Amino acid sequence: MTPRKILTVFFFALVLLLGYYSMNAAPVISDHSYTYQGGVEWHEDPDEAYEIAQEEDKPVLVYYWTTWCTYCDDYDSDHYRDDEIRDALDEYVLLAVNLDEPGPASGLVQEHEANYPPQHVVTTPYGDEVTRIGGYADEETLLNELRQHTDDS
Amino acid sequence: MIPNTGTGVIAVAAFTSVLAAALLLYGYIRQTDEFRREILAATGVSTVALVAAHTYLTYQFVVGDYTNAYVWENSADYLPLLYRLTGPYASHEGSILFWATLTSFVATWTVYSSKFDGKGSRLAQSITMAIVAWFAVMLTTQSPFIPIETVFDGVSEGFVPPDGDGLNPLLVDPYMAIHPPITFAAYALLILPFALGVTHFVSLFRGEETVYDDWLTSNVAWLRVSWILLTAAIALGGIWAYRVLGWGGFWSWDPVETAVLVPWLALTAALHATNRYDKTREYPVFAPAAAGFVFPLVVYATVVVRSDVFRSVHSFSAGGIGVGIMSMMVVTVAIAVGLPFAYWFLKTEGGGRPDDEPWFSRRTVYHSAVLAFGALGFVAAWGLTFPVIRSAATGVEVSVGTDYYNLWSYPVVLVGLLLGGTYAVLDTGRRRLALAATVGVALLTFVAAFVAPSSNWILTSTEPYDPVYYRLVGGMSVLSVVPPAAYFYGAWIGRYFSRIRGIPSRSFRLRETGVLLLHIGGVVLIIAVSFVYLFSTSASVAVIGVESAGENPEPLVQEFSDEEYEVHVLSYEAVDVPTIDEAARTPAELLEVDSEADLVRGEITETGTLDGTDVARLDDSSVWLAGEGVEFEDGVEVIARGTVFENDDPDMQAFVFTDQPNMGTVDDPPEGVYTPRVVSHEMELEVYENGELVADGVVANQDYLEHDMQTNDVIIERAIRGDTYVRGTYNAGTAEVTVETYPLANQIWIATLLMLLGMVVLTVADNRFRE
Repeated sequence: MTPRKILTVFFFALVLLLGYYSMNAAPVISDHSYTYQGGVEWHEDPDEAYEIAQEEDKPVLVYYWTTWCTYCDDYDSDHYRDDEIRDALDEYVLLAVNLDEPGPASGLVQEHEANYPPQHVVTTPYGDEVTRIGGYADEETLLNELRQHTDDS
Repeated sequence: MIPNTGTGVIAVAAFTSVLAAALLLYGYIRQTDEFRREILAATGVSTVALVAAHTYLTYQFVVGDYTNAYVWENSADYLPLLYRLTGPYASHEGSILFWATLTSFVATWTVYSSKFDGKGSRLAQSITMAIVAWFAVMLTTQSPFIPIETVFDGVSEGFVPPDGDGLNPLLVDPYMAIHPPITFAAYALLILPFALGVTHFVSLFRGEETVYDDWLTSNVAWLRVSWILLTAAIALGGIWAYRVLGWGGFWSWDPVETAVLVPWLALTAALHATNRYDKTREYPVFAPAAAGFVFPLVVYATVVVRSDVFRSVHSFSAGGIGVGIMSMMVVTVAIAVGLPFAYWFLKTEGGGRPDDEPWFSRRTVYHSAVLAFGALGFVAAWGLTFPVIRSAATGVEVSVGTDYYNLWSYPVVLVGLLLGGTYAVLDTGRRRLALAATVGVALLTFVAAFVAPSSNWILTSTEPYDPVYYRLVGGMSVLSVVPPAAYFYGAWIGRYFSRIRGIPSRSFRLRETGVLLLHIGGVVLIIAVSFVYLFSTSASVAVIGVESAGENPEPLVQEFSDEEYEVHVLSYEAVDVPTIDEAARTPAELLEVDSEADLVRGEITETGTLDGTDVARLDDSSVWLAGEGVEFEDGVEVIARGTVFENDDPDMQAFVFTDQPNMGTVDDPPEGVYTPRVVSHEMELEVYENGELVADGVVANQDYLEHDMQTNDVIIERAIRGDTYVRGTYNAGTAEVTVETYPLANQIWIATLLMLLGMVVLTVADNRFRE
């Protein structure tokens, strides 16, 4: 074998390895029972989320996102990994809806007229809208909003 | 108007292109020129028909013929002529028609040109016509000429919509007007290397003489021109993303950006291989195969852009795509990969190269560099593909972010630079120097990876739970790109002077200058791209009460929280697009459309009472205003909004029922009852950094009221060190002003221009040199 052939074989082996490794190393964002935005567990089924919210008497935070939204990446890598925000999120039942594939939440998407990502909608345990944060908000604003509506309830 | 004239014309193109492709194939198999006249006629008719269809669609856009659903969906009265001319390729069907039209030009040229001769020529021509036929047949089922009543339930026949739905606001940008024609021109030209590659392997299988070598010079030219166009198209797309998307920067590894990078990398690799084949006859299988594989890859990119499978901010056409383009991808990929692979597997023996070829040789290094392009292409394509595979197989959605693309590409780029530098030194014949330099630079690169003056230099911030590879590469300092880039830069300049020394031919010198510019442009681009995002900054501040700006001689001043920046708002204005004046129809225009409620303008030329209702004739026409207790005054030019009732009386064809609040004079129109398409919030700003003016101008934030979408006009202040980028969004009296800096941003454009210039010089000089 010439060096070029050896290199070519090596190249294909490397490509296979890269493909296999990168596919398995990619972070899971959704397994169809939960969505893992920012490493936090979000429900995907509104019925399930609202049932729990009513049981625990907690407000629901609905997060509309898509895979291609760069602001959602910021939420994912910064906001939801912030300890204070995580504490605030604990006071909510979390529901994340992928706007491209809303699945059981498509009715909710229409109700909230959520036609672009990212959006956060805070609702009562019974689904009445309390407030919404359209688009991107910095960490402080998000935290204040989150805290304000748990204080209310 | 006959509703399906357009589809009918496309059907003619479909029939004649299928006929031409079939007759050419027959001619190839039988080796006969029997149907030459029929072939020329069918080819000509198909091209004329596609041009006619595209022209007709453009005409419908220009005049605003909203009875065509496609026009209704992608245009509106308020749009200026430029965006009516570009409307045809704003969505899926129209852009396929445009692509098909350009492709038919290229295909027709192959059929008519006397250049195409020899045994395989009819097959190559047949393939190009078959691609045109595929598009045309696809367009007969997915036509951009479907009447509005067919597409929308409940629309009665003959209904003329008063206005269009509008163009996607993101496409209302001059860069988006020129980006698609350039992209599709590149795509259209790529059918030639594809047809030639397929013909070459078919000829080899059939034991015929192949035309590949005869057409090699032309093939190189087509590939180069495609490369120029594709590079320009990607750059224009980047400029658009930077200006319009704002938050996406130039490059965000969005699926469509990534998808178009794959054929670009393949094309660059194919050019390297073809260049090598041209000089030394190496790569007898790979060079034609790689060139032929680029066209299937652009079809793949189209599938990514247009399909529902790959979600993207660029998914302009809702509803996904038909089987047409998907099956074209499958078929062209199968042919372009299958034929060369089968030939390589079944027919080539031994390769004919000596086994004692040294490891450290020009040939090996060059080959490794070509493989590096392949690896980059694989990273891009795999990142798009594996989430789809994994989701389909397991139902689990995984995230592929910028880290995946950046961190897997980065080491390949470093190795590529090192190889490029080494090749250039080896090309000057100094093998020992090359070996020493390569080892030295590799060591320096390794050391530089650990040298980070601040945390900004680290490629990405990683978490302890990230996979080990991401932590390793992500933790590298971007300084590591400097040694191989400097080596590459220096080596190519050295090679240039060594090559031209003592050679008087101007064409040769010019050719070498082109090669140098290409490589210098490439390395500057890599450096600039590596640094621009790591060192970009962003800060924003809210300015309350901007509506009062401009009322006082003093501007509104707001300091940023870091105290580094200060913004001065000099004025604020909300501009309606269109204005109420522009939106109001004349009586004649009102009669042309079917609307329930409308705005109308005209001079009152007659007043009276009809069944107890006051009426007023406008402009001596058969359109009347009507209303109870409304004061109509003769001779006054008014604008009124109201419900439209049509009538059979030729003297009173329409009544617009209005009332006092809905009516006003032209000087004092009823603005309060008018909702424009777009409200553009325009703010004149000055931005100071530590007391020094760094940017000034007007930022605007357009609110598309019907579609709940927003776009931005930004201020970009360019400087050698980088761009200062100012964006302002307006919401209920408060403006959020964001100031971003992008160091080395202009070096990206300069590098791209260098590369484009290099390729143009190379192409021109090479043609002269060959002569």
